[in-house]
Amino acid sequence: MATRAVEVNNAVPALAPERQVTWPKRQRARLSNGLEVILVESHTIPKFHGELFFRSGNAAAIDRGTGLAEMTATVVRTGTAKRASRQIEEDLRRIGADLSSSAGADTSAISFAGLSDFAEPLLGMVDELARQAAFPEAEFERERRQKLEEVKLERTQPGFLAGERLRKVLFGAHPYAQVSPSEEQVAAYKRDDLLGVYRDFYTPENALLLLVGDFQPDAMLKAAEKVFGAWQGKKPETKPSAAPAKPRGRRVYLVHLPGAVQTQILAGCHAITRKHPDWVKLGLTNSLYGGAFNSRLVMNIREDKGYTYSPRSGVNAFRQHGYFSVSAAVRNDVVAASLTEIFYEMDKLRSVPVPESELADAQNYLSGIFSMGLATQNGLLSQIAVVALNELPEDYLETYRQKVRALTPGDLLETARKYLDSANMQIVIVGDRVQIESQAALFGELEVFDAQGKKLS
Amino acid sequence: MKRLQIAIESTTLANGLKVVIAPDTAAPVVTVGVYYKIGFRLEPRGRSGFAHLFEHMMFQGSANAPKMQHIKLINSSGGVLNGSTHYDVTNYYQAVPSNALERVLWLEADRMRALKVDDENLRNQRDVVKEEVRVNVLNQPYGGFPWLDLPPVAFRNWANSHNFYGDFSDLDAADLADVQAFCKTYYVPNNAVLLMLGDLKPEEGFALAKKLYADIPAGAPPPFADPAEPEQNEERRGEVEEKFGTLPAMAIGYVVPKRRTTDWCAMALLDQALHGGRAGKLYRELVLEKQVAVELDGGIEDIFGYNGPTQMVTRILHKPEYSSEQALAAFDEVIREIQDNGVSEDELAQLKVKWQSDYFSLLESGHGGMPRYGLMHLLACFTLFDGEPQLVNTVLDGFLSVTRDEILAAANKYLRKEKRAIVFRRPAAAGVKEAA
Repeated sequence: MATRAVEVNNAVPALAPERQVTWPKRQRARLSNGLEVILVESHTIPKFHGELFFRSGNAAAIDRGTGLAEMTATVVRTGTAKRASRQIEEDLRRIGADLSSSAGADTSAISFAGLSDFAEPLLGMVDELARQAAFPEAEFERERRQKLEEVKLERTQPGFLAGERLRKVLFGAHPYAQVSPSEEQVAAYKRDDLLGVYRDFYTPENALLLLVGDFQPDAMLKAAEKVFGAWQGKKPETKPSAAPAKPRGRRVYLVHLPGAVQTQILAGCHAITRKHPDWVKLGLTNSLYGGAFNSRLVMNIREDKGYTYSPRSGVNAFRQHGYFSVSAAVRNDVVAASLTEIFYEMDKLRSVPVPESELADAQNYLSGIFSMGLATQNGLLSQIAVVALNELPEDYLETYRQKVRALTPGDLLETARKYLDSANMQIVIVGDRVQIESQAALFGELEVFDAQGKKLS
Repeated sequence: MKRLQIAIESTTLANGLKVVIAPDTAAPVVTVGVYYKIGFRLEPRGRSGFAHLFEHMMFQGSANAPKMQHIKLINSSGGVLNGSTHYDVTNYYQAVPSNALERVLWLEADRMRALKVDDENLRNQRDVVKEEVRVNVLNQPYGGFPWLDLPPVAFRNWANSHNFYGDFSDLDAADLADVQAFCKTYYVPNNAVLLMLGDLKPEEGFALAKKLYADIPAGAPPPFADPAEPEQNEERRGEVEEKFGTLPAMAIGYVVPKRRTTDWCAMALLDQALHGGRAGKLYRELVLEKQVAVELDGGIEDIFGYNGPTQMVTRILHKPEYSSEQALAAFDEVIREIQDNGVSEDELAQLKVKWQSDYFSLLESGHGGMPRYGLMHLLACFTLFDGEPQLVNTVLDGFLSVTRDEILAAANKYLRKEKRAIVFRRPAAAGVKEAA
């Protein structure tokens, strides 16, 4: 059915004239030690949110160990030259602050939020963690053992298993293929490896400090200079990884989870980074396909057929590469039927121009939700982080909406043909092979793995 | 310390619909919510899961907005929408650019006035809900743990103890007559509050509310089946098999004192002392110090958003080399310590600063890209349960005036074995042997 025509009732109130969207001023500065800072005022609550990013993550540490940047970030908060773990946690509570440290593929980060009244002590804590983390042996050992249990546990989650397999299939020998370490890899972590990552990645020249919230930017900048000014360190050298080969032809990867009462489908193909000129076009195409509640895929396999609760498509961007993916957790007996509809909707967007009215609806949707971030400190922080970390143009936030509105049915057709690469989609399904293998095999050459990643057939 | 004063205006229409407006021009966005004072606690017997299934039906069409149109009109106005079912309320909410305010209010009014759904819609959403239950519970490690596992062990009143997501046989038994009866009983203006937050003028909001909602007829006052529990005088234990997960788990729940009492405020700070992140006593002892547990979290969930018996719950996944009794003994030691010593003056000061900071964040917190969900939720619950939306600005005072003695007393009065329930969730595969 796809887009069943819905008659709009005459009684529906028309939209009032659009109100202006004004993005707050971003104040950019560079501290004397090279640390880049961006400050934005937002007075919604008497707090502020911040993030200290380092432009190196798990991908940059891959030669030293899978997931090593993440492990480093985990242990960073467990002790400094001045404070033991317990003291750190109590001192954070004393100023009403939350803090976490983590690493993704391309960045490591210390994220924090706290009361405006205690801004300086919180910045002081962040500086201490970034500069003087002590990696106490006992803390490292505990976190490593915790991690061992966690990596066992995640192999029981259908969503994790699907994502992990898809990344392997799409990125092959590239670091982006590695989502999480194995038990053996965790067992092999050494404290010295963590110290090495910390020394190389956690430097002011490699960092970006974002601060959003209830403060006066000039005073906050002064506080930042006072707190972070003495910190020194160079940008790490980066070693480019060879581009991953695009998988050709549809293939199916079944991850066997005995006893599963549902099947997790996740299919994907190579796409683009956020810097790519087609980014906005692909975003709009995705929102029409499966990126919104009102999208074609959701209307089809949820609202019409009832196969699934949670169908979704998305464009996932890393710094160097990106991929397009579509997912749905479906009833075991409709795996083939769901895949048929997933491809039907993709092929339709590749072959039939989108009606003008549907395009206008999707344009309104995308430009509307883009402004939601304005309403909260956290929302602003994440929008601004995307622009800064991906080195997008200064006016990206201000011009996004008009870029969305300028697109035509022809642009979308071209974009779908380029990036909704249905002939080369890699299909991962996680479920009980007894119930789904014959359905899966209809869609391409099939390989079967167990949850540990061992090939079964 | 800086306080937060939220501007709030409210009124009640002649048909009993309460209207609450919190204007704020920080962004050209409005959040509109409708809360009905019915959740899964009071859904009909023999129809477990029905309140949630009904929530799905509210998106299936109304007299002037057939199936898909509500969703389409919100998305194409540049907004997002959703609904959720809780113990004592069910909410429907959307955030849109503020030029769509009237449109959103019209859509909510239309489904309040005349839901229009058929058997095909019901079959479709029953299938969708079953996949929701599978993806969140039946096909997930520790799915539904402990929010679905603990109530049947902890409570005796069916209202509090049944399967809130619904037994599939009950979902299958639900028919259109159930939908109509439930709608007529609970989905009436005199059992609801309409909320508008963000970029609007209060007078504009009240005028629109009157224009679009005033002619919706009031219903009979909905019945309120008292969900009170008989006094609990013994520790209660239960077991559930874990089908996928690798670690043994347990959840311990203590009954929480009556809402908006001094004891309740003391219990909330006690909760902060025990569960407040990595500084919390339980995490510190069981995960960081003794290293018995791998994951530990918990607390009084949605502390302002319930209107019946509830628990403070600790959720623990522990290392398989420790027995459940060993893990429980480590937990009990922390409880005993706080019963003996309470919290220090310094610790109490920390707890209050953190509580206040968390409260501000709660007000601002979003939900699925929806700004101001937290403020909306509190305004709605304070209106429906307490008749006092202004509590958003004053409720904090009760927590900030809690004393050390009150915390000590609460620890000894409420953290008692005979006031708790424990559920053990044991991995089937890992062969954890000992019995509870």
